[in-house]
Amino acid sequence: MDHPIYYPKSEYIETDTGNKVSRRATIAGPQNIILGGKTVIANGAIIRGDLRRTGPGHAVVISLGRYCLVGEGCIMRPPYKTYRGNFNYYPMKIGDHVHIGANTVVEAAQIGSHVEIGKNCVIGKFTIIKDCAKIADNTVIPPNTVIPALSLFAGSPGHFVEDMPESTQEMVEAMTKSYYSRFQPDPSSAAAQQR
Amino acid sequence: MSPSVEYYCPCQASTPHPPQPNLASSSYSFHALHNLYFCEECDAIRCNHCVMVEVSGYYCPNCLFEVPSASVRAEKNRCARNCFMCPSCKNTLSVVPSDPPDNGDGRIPPTINAAGEPPFFLYCNHCRWDSAEVGITFEKPTGLAAQLQKFEDSAPESLEFERLKEHFEPYLPAASSALARDIPGVARYTPHALSRSRSGRDKNANRQEVPDYRARVEIGAVTTGYALGGGADPDVEFMRHLETVEEVSTLEQRWGNSWVTSPRSLDLKPLRIPLHSKKSKRCPSCRHILIKPEQKAQSVRYKIKLVAANYLPAITINLPHMQAALAMLRRSGRANAEPQDGTMLAGKTYPFHLSFTNPLYDPIQVRLHVQRALPPPHPNAPPEAEKTRRPPFAIMLPTQAFPIAAFAEAWEYDDDEDMFGVEEEDEDFDGARDPRGRSRTVGVLERRANVTVIGGEVMISKESRGDIKFNMLVSYTYRSDDPEPEEPGTPSRLQAQPKQPEMKTFSFYTVVDLGTIIVRDTSSVDMDS
Repeated sequence: MDHPIYYPKSEYIETDTGNKVSRRATIAGPQNIILGGKTVIANGAIIRGDLRRTGPGHAVVISLGRYCLVGEGCIMRPPYKTYRGNFNYYPMKIGDHVHIGANTVVEAAQIGSHVEIGKNCVIGKFTIIKDCAKIADNTVIPPNTVIPALSLFAGSPGHFVEDMPESTQEMVEAMTKSYYSRFQPDPSSAAAQQR
Repeated sequence: MSPSVEYYCPCQASTPHPPQPNLASSSYSFHALHNLYFCEECDAIRCNHCVMVEVSGYYCPNCLFEVPSASVRAEKNRCARNCFMCPSCKNTLSVVPSDPPDNGDGRIPPTINAAGEPPFFLYCNHCRWDSAEVGITFEKPTGLAAQLQKFEDSAPESLEFERLKEHFEPYLPAASSALARDIPGVARYTPHALSRSRSGRDKNANRQEVPDYRARVEIGAVTTGYALGGGADPDVEFMRHLETVEEVSTLEQRWGNSWVTSPRSLDLKPLRIPLHSKKSKRCPSCRHILIKPEQKAQSVRYKIKLVAANYLPAITINLPHMQAALAMLRRSGRANAEPQDGTMLAGKTYPFHLSFTNPLYDPIQVRLHVQRALPPPHPNAPPEAEKTRRPPFAIMLPTQAFPIAAFAEAWEYDDDEDMFGVEEEDEDFDGARDPRGRSRTVGVLERRANVTVIGGEVMISKESRGDIKFNMLVSYTYRSDDPEPEEPGTPSRLQAQPKQPEMKTFSFYTVVDLGTIIVRDTSSVDMDS
């Protein structure tokens, strides 16, 4: 419960707004990525902010809200398609309190708030995930799927399993907040470094 | 498995006492706190098994269109827009245009039509099924559902069903009123039955005289194409010439169909997506609303939401020896944990921590009581019966009531976030490693904000095995006037008005699962070394 998850202090960079980004994560095109604050990007994650819409000007490629977690080895890649003969990438928007499990590949167009995505999932291109939805571990969501609010999806291809409980929002919020507060630099490793 | 605490809903039993936790059937009566509701009127816990569920709105899970209930019936509970389900993998299909005509010069021709070239067909992104292979193509990419529904409705079985409904329509009110009269409780579920029974009354006299219905479709006598799946000769013929299993559609693929369909997977038709519903929930005894969602389909807010988590203290459980073992593992750098390090051995005593979180805006006093129970004798194991009838473990918990402070607004706790990790954890680990900590394992260990942590101990007898699961009665006392100020009429309150701080007590049962006992023979060596 309250037991901390320690990480070596040197492994993560903490920003002013409390984001913790692993030095071992690959962040491509950081100028196109927005992190809402108190968001953790774990080791080995790959975030492709460089895959931006063609054209001049500044473009936000991937935006994450507050209290999110991008798990170890996750790949976040904006969706792309050829529309009227033009190949283009499209932005990916992710709300607050979204946890993405380890080794999951996300190419969604939109993920709402209070969403839990399990480990080893594939979230296909242009998927839309509404608030308080949950994707079980090892689920494959095909491209263009819409996942309605408060539903649990599992399987390959992912399909609706059951409704989530009415208190999902509070539970996910408490879970993501406690995860962030438990995710701390290891005091023993910090002491070892000073010596 | 990590230790857990679940809450009891008495709806399955006639007594307020829960079943023995070691019975397999008891799991049906215990629920996680977040799945329970609380009826203020009855002052009782309600669960998903006992609440009355009503549909408060329909929507399509793919296009998220909110379907008015009037058109749900006409559209046969399925989406009437452009949402289709792949018949072979249940994924959503997309409408794709055909390839543009080839000019022969290898270049992409200038797009004439923005939507693409007809004919259009449905394509599955997951399993690559496409509707062209079953001969369904469309000239326009819009209004496909109407075209498909026309096809569905023209099936002979569908027409037959419509005629049947028409035939029995006049007798329906009489039948439903008879049902409501003969079976108590049915009327509650069909509110129209009673009002309609007025008209049915007059026909009651001759309700036996339903004229014979003549079916227009004879079983097995339909055209040969439809006879497939009827279990007759064409089926046998088809099965005889099978070359691969894939030629037969699976039961799951045909399950959702309304009538018997061909078993050939080549004959599978795209289905319109079934609608989902938002549900409101009512208390089964007083019919007050417990859950009422907002009208908008994709909103996650509720107009009424009486969940048990807002009334009952949340209990989480923690085994310090397991945490210490994990910490040791991490320090020693061994990645793969040996399960023995955190499990419980027979013949030993272990402390455990229960942390109670108060959701109320008033402080509460909590008292715990363990339901002592002998496991039932095993009829098929007579020699062991003597041993198993002894309680396999003893639980020690503080017997005195302990306080939990009131829940304050969330922002008051925000500053504490950084604090509680660092200092307390060290303390915790020290306690777990230090043998002197033993003296203080039973009792209130810690109080902060609206959380109180109490310690208990479990003594496991030498011969015991199985799960350490016990029922625990939790009683809490609270000031009753503050949590529900909007209801001034309750009789208990009126008579108790003179006594200023009126205290009320609410009790509920929980089951605490500490984990499985490891019989000590192999693992005792590890512990000693």
